[in-house]
Amino acid sequence: MAITDVGERPTEQHQAGGKGLKVGALGLVSSLVIGVASTAPAYSLAASLGLVTAVVGLFAPSIMLIAFAPMLFIAAAYYYMNRADPDCGTTFTWVTRAIGPKSGWLAGWGILVTDLVVMPSLSQIAGSYTFSLFGANGLAQNTFWVTFVGVIWIVVMTLICYIGIELSARTQVALLGAEIIILVVFAITALAKVYGGGIAHSVRPSIAWLDPFKIPSGGALASGILVAVFIYWGWDTAVTVNEESKDAKRTPGVAALLSTLVLVLIYVIVSIAAQSFHGAGFLTSNSNDVLNALAKAVLGSPWNKLLIIAVLTSSSASTQTTILPAARSSLSMAVHKAFPARFASINPRFLSPGFSTLLFGAVSIVWYVLLTLISPNVLENSILALGFGIAFYYAMTGYACVVYYRRQVFQSLKSFLFIGLAPLIGALILTWAFFDSIFVYSNPANSAGRAWFTFIHFNVHILGVHLYAHGVGSALVIGIGLLLIGVPLMLIWRIKHPDFFKRDREAATSLGASAPPLTAGVVPVTD
Amino acid sequence: MAPTIVLGYDGSDGSQAALSTAVTVARAFAARLTIVFGYEPNPMGGESSDYRHQLEALGQGVVAQAFAAARELDASLEIEQLVVPLRPAESLLEAAIERQALVIVVGGSGERPILGAILGSVPHKLLHRSTVPVLVVPTPE
Repeated sequence: MAITDVGERPTEQHQAGGKGLKVGALGLVSSLVIGVASTAPAYSLAASLGLVTAVVGLFAPSIMLIAFAPMLFIAAAYYYMNRADPDCGTTFTWVTRAIGPKSGWLAGWGILVTDLVVMPSLSQIAGSYTFSLFGANGLAQNTFWVTFVGVIWIVVMTLICYIGIELSARTQVALLGAEIIILVVFAITALAKVYGGGIAHSVRPSIAWLDPFKIPSGGALASGILVAVFIYWGWDTAVTVNEESKDAKRTPGVAALLSTLVLVLIYVIVSIAAQSFHGAGFLTSNSNDVLNALAKAVLGSPWNKLLIIAVLTSSSASTQTTILPAARSSLSMAVHKAFPARFASINPRFLSPGFSTLLFGAVSIVWYVLLTLISPNVLENSILALGFGIAFYYAMTGYACVVYYRRQVFQSLKSFLFIGLAPLIGALILTWAFFDSIFVYSNPANSAGRAWFTFIHFNVHILGVHLYAHGVGSALVIGIGLLLIGVPLMLIWRIKHPDFFKRDREAATSLGASAPPLTAGVVPVTD
Repeated sequence: MAPTIVLGYDGSDGSQAALSTAVTVARAFAARLTIVFGYEPNPMGGESSDYRHQLEALGQGVVAQAFAAARELDASLEIEQLVVPLRPAESLLEAAIERQALVIVVGGSGERPILGAILGSVPHKLLHRSTVPVLVVPTPE
């Protein structure tokens, strides 16, 4: 890969295959840390615990368990698609190859929109927990000041990604370790106090909480899954970054397995502990700062600050693992001529995708402020809307895997299970959750805040399905609306730049084979 | 075999100053010059292959500039161009150790010592970790 003028100096030892993947970068611990830190357990719980109980009540732990299944299945698709093509466009690139450029473009749009939708919730949590950390609980509830700190949060995080500041591997391990330990201590303390008695509205844990078949309705299950998919979002990084790990044969599997165990256990234990402490209703009515509300009673002052700090460090990791991949997605789309070339430019000084990173930060701020102005409940709307985006592009990834490897699916039992059945089932579950949730959230009573578009009014029964709407829930408008904006944008890009759309669908030649480059063209590199 | 001088070059003012010093040193020791550009995307950002390709293209352009500038200073110098997919400090160390280099030449953080401290400046890291002598060239005013 190096240009050698005199003498020989091959850098092949850094390269695996023709894709420029580096071998020798990541050990087991680093892979594990990246996967779990990207998923951001403390932040995910803080953002979603109240919403999950709002949808399924005391069955929250079962949702935590069952929502992992589609994620695990889709992770198989990630793993195998990444083997063929580790482009940072991920789903965009894979869907373009397997299903076609139009679907690929929309999948790429889906990634960007989903990354955008999570930003207000991250900033909201960061803003509110920052005030809670300093005991300013009044300000933590004040929309203006929380938004103010939230905007600063986005600015700082964007700059960190732009300049390329990285924590050392050791610091990351320490932060994540602390986060996990604090969550476990929190859960154990809460359970001990519940069994000790004397806690108002406390409920002793029941094994039925883990049984998803006891969830009262399919709609509740679907929307519960859509919320809970969010808490595992980012976990796929554990699977994909492993392609770069030291022992590429063993590390990926072990790291994925360990991170799975860590996450599922944490989510199940914390959700059991949290809802048994003051009951599910407490979580629902404190959904905006659920961990902060519980921490005071469970851990007492000043130990509750530890949990707040864990949520903040977790949010900062999650913000970074949102901005970095978002910027890389638009970079990849630009490299492959599906986006304006500027998005591919690299800042020569900091070596980051400069334009993409700064623009994503700026758009995030605009979106966050806009959402705060039009929606009374930013967090709830964001998380609910987010589910649609994640389900959309994860499902697309699953379908892309099956289609791309269509000639290899029946070659062996292993390939049938991992590149056929698992991705397909994962994609189907997410597709079902996506569409069923549309029905659920089309009823504004199930969505946060007021109804939008109240001129839409119907109440019908078709084929046994009850369709009712008086206006549309704001979460649905945001979730589906932002995805749909992609359609006209894609068509406009297609008219102006038809090159990207002139390509044939591809199929894998074999299971381990690297795919040929998606685009041969040269794109201007620097800002 | 002629000894090797390893130069860290990223196109910044500091690295340009380092380049002219490195050429002087190479000439004095009748050494060959290895120009190194190192890059590594943050692993927290997930997949990175086409990003890496962009970085590599950028690095090759930067190193080619340095090559031309060094040639202009000394037309007879033996020069090697290297773009390494490792963090800058690590790529310099690896290149230097492998070539048993006499010295690694880098530019200082210049007028932005605080930014350098936040970013983890390359000379700072090298001075602490290098097993090869390091020459830090101040950026001219």
